[in-house]
Amino acid sequence: RLFLQSLGPDRLRYRRPNRLNKAPTPLPTLDVWGAPPSPEDPRRASDGRVRAQGARERADTAAQRGGSPQPKVKGRRRWEPRSSPGRALARNRAGSRGAPSARSQLTSPGERRGGKRNSRGRPLRNASTWPWKNGAHTSPAEPDFKVGTRTASLLAQFPEVPKPDSLGRPLLNRRRPRRGRAEGRSQGPDVPRGAGLPAKTPGRKCLEAPPPGGTPGCWATKAGSSGWLGVPWNQPSVAPTSCPGNLPSRPPSFLPPLLASRNPCPWHHAHVSGSHDHLAPTCLKASLHGKRSDRAAGVASRLPDRSSPAMGTYTYTYTSRPRALPCQRRRYRDSITQPAEEPMHYGNIMYDRRVIRGNTYALQMGPLPGQPDPLEIQRQQQAKRRALARKRAQEQLRPRTPEPVEGRKHVDVQTEIYLEEIADRIIEVDVECQTDAFLDRPPTPLFIPAKTGKDVATQILEGELFDFDLEVKPMLEVLVGKTIEQSLLEVMEEEELANLWASQHAYEELRSAELAEVQRLEEQERRHREEKERRKQQQWEVVYKHNETAQKVAARVFAQRYLADLLPSVFDSLRDGGYFYDPIERDIEMGFLPWLMNEVEKTMEYSMVGRTVLDMLIREVVEKRLSMYEHKEYPPPEVKPEDGLGGPGAMGAPLTDEEFLKRSMSQPQGPLSDRDSLQRTLSNGRYVGDMSPQEGSFMEEEEDEQ
Amino acid sequence: MPLPDTMFCAQQIHIPPELPDILKQFTKAAIRTQPADVLQWSAGYFSALSRGDPLPVKDRIEMPVATQKTDTGLTQGLLKVLHKQCSHKRYVELADLEEKWKNLCLPVENFRALLQLDPCKDKIEWIKFLALGCSMLGGSLNSSMKHLCEILTADPEGGPARIPFETFSYVYRYLSKLDSDILQGDTETYLATLKDTLESRKNGMIGLADFFILKRKV
Repeated sequence: RLFLQSLGPDRLRYRRPNRLNKAPTPLPTLDVWGAPPSPEDPRRASDGRVRAQGARERADTAAQRGGSPQPKVKGRRRWEPRSSPGRALARNRAGSRGAPSARSQLTSPGERRGGKRNSRGRPLRNASTWPWKNGAHTSPAEPDFKVGTRTASLLAQFPEVPKPDSLGRPLLNRRRPRRGRAEGRSQGPDVPRGAGLPAKTPGRKCLEAPPPGGTPGCWATKAGSSGWLGVPWNQPSVAPTSCPGNLPSRPPSFLPPLLASRNPCPWHHAHVSGSHDHLAPTCLKASLHGKRSDRAAGVASRLPDRSSPAMGTYTYTYTSRPRALPCQRRRYRDSITQPAEEPMHYGNIMYDRRVIRGNTYALQMGPLPGQPDPLEIQRQQQAKRRALARKRAQEQLRPRTPEPVEGRKHVDVQTEIYLEEIADRIIEVDVECQTDAFLDRPPTPLFIPAKTGKDVATQILEGELFDFDLEVKPMLEVLVGKTIEQSLLEVMEEEELANLWASQHAYEELRSAELAEVQRLEEQERRHREEKERRKQQQWEVVYKHNETAQKVAARVFAQRYLADLLPSVFDSLRDGGYFYDPIERDIEMGFLPWLMNEVEKTMEYSMVGRTVLDMLIREVVEKRLSMYEHKEYPPPEVKPEDGLGGPGAMGAPLTDEEFLKRSMSQPQGPLSDRDSLQRTLSNGRYVGDMSPQEGSFMEEEEDEQ
Repeated sequence: MPLPDTMFCAQQIHIPPELPDILKQFTKAAIRTQPADVLQWSAGYFSALSRGDPLPVKDRIEMPVATQKTDTGLTQGLLKVLHKQCSHKRYVELADLEEKWKNLCLPVENFRALLQLDPCKDKIEWIKFLALGCSMLGGSLNSSMKHLCEILTADPEGGPARIPFETFSYVYRYLSKLDSDILQGDTETYLATLKDTLESRKNGMIGLADFFILKRKV
């Protein structure tokens, strides 16, 4: 089975159908070279298949992995970064190795085929006629199409595949294996084919998981293959363009014999028109349109056309035009807006497994307690790794198709009956366009309008341009006018100023004159005033004097009158005061009379004194007598009170000394009264009046004593 | 400078920088002086200017009173101009004076008439001429003196026009001498009285107020 990558814009990929879809036809595996299925071949074929599948898978993966450059790049480059050199090797072996060996080997299958064909009466296309034998590029996937190893190998094998017809090529390629198969079939649906198929199946199975290491042989020679990888593809780079040229030549050579041989094959039955030309356009049309359904037909129709000029007039018709099984899967999304991804289920975010639930801070805490600890995890990982390694080893040990013989190349060939369009992955091509770097907007070209109008010439003579008088007129106007105006203004100003000043001066003059006048008047006034003052003052004084004088006069008169009576009164009062006395009289009064009085007094006093002395003598005597009497006669009851009384009483007036003695002897108390009486009597001369009351009292006393 | 042969635009015309100033001064003088014959006067002006003499320009603008009624165009201003021109020297040449007279666009007859009052040969004392002019201005002696005072005074216009008493007396005598009506004795007494009034003042200047009493408007 051959897995082809689509060529051309359609990027149709065709793959063998699923197991489910697969038509269970016991088709023998066919070595790409068309060799009869041999025990070796199945393996190889299977290997090739494997390889092919693997290559396809790898191609796919690589294309996906490698990224953009890979799909665009020519097939050979795409294979370089492939994951495993073994795979590459396998691929290379399938493809690249096939390239140099293709030349040698191509001849063989071609020859073989040719031989086969020859056996059928087809003309043998010499290998030498192959373009790549001539040195042209035979790289299968060299052209810009996305060609896998299968394609490359196929192309290498079948150089007659028309290059420009991308559709045609795959179809043709398809055709070839089919034809090969058919051929095989035609040869005989013998065991090998059948064996091939079963072998294919397990191979297919194996290929589901592409072998990591590829064939052991690949590993062994990986170095060589890798090294060799670059080489062969370099060579093919020489003439990629020659491919298209080369290729178209290929199919006709191959196909017509196949076609012719496969008449009884139902699949490869096609309605072939007689003319080659007819075929070509239809093929082309079909390729242009890119319809899968027509492809087969187109190719089919074309093939015989192509083949006819080379091979003769063989035509091939189909009962039913071979066509690819329509892919059940949608290859292109219905709308651009719908992204071409895995089917997106618009589900509830709550139930989206991609959303982390739970703590975000606890994510780092390592393995949960319920789960095994890191050691366990590590062990598990190791176990996984070991399992993987084991698997790989098993893969390696798995019997694979042996490496191709020197000079040969393994190619993956599709041996399935049906071709199915692979549509699990939408082929995407990145196209880019680069605009030039920003350029500055170029400057707008000058717009020079076309010249219109009439050309007129004139000649200026001397003195025509400039007329002094005319030119100078405005200047003069300004000059003179301005001058006059300015001077007028200035004169006016000056005049005004001067007038002002003049008026001011005149006024000042006037003012000063007036001021002088005023001053004079003022002065005059002042003088007047002073004069007036003086006069007034004078007058006042005069008046004052006058008044004074009058007052003086009046006062004098009054005083005179007042003092007129003064003198006589004075004399009178003096006289009354005794100031005017008679001196003799005064002398008498003053001198004589006092002396007289004194003399009188003295005399009187003598008498007094005498009496007093007498009294005292009496008293003493009396006292003594009394005391003597008391001593002698105590109880003399009576003293001579009557003496006393009688004495005084009897004689009142004439008091003599006797009486005195009596009284003094009679009465001790009597002396006192005696005395008194004496006194009284003494003073009788003088104060008779006084004696009488005294006497009276004395009498009373005497009475009392008694 | 002479015009270049090829002049193309007005900007090429060159004006001397002093010209505007000269023009202005001339114009102002003309406006102030108001000469009857501008040309004549301008000739006198520029000739005096070129010589460096005092210019025949009135200081104050004075409307010309030269009408038919008054024969003379002589005004105080003109006399002043003349005085300005001639006062620097005592004696003035008659010819020169006549020239100046003419420049002021004054009729020459008046000049002659003036001179006839006090005939002289070639030159005349300027003061006398001035006095004669003043007498021509005013009718009376007093007014002539007034004019004289105003002309001769250094005081600002309108102020007390004071002149030295000597000048005054000199002129007064001269004029009175010329006038036959006035007696000499009167002149002297008048002058003496005037002098007395001036005794108080130290400067010896006599002003208008002393002899000329303005009629005050009541």
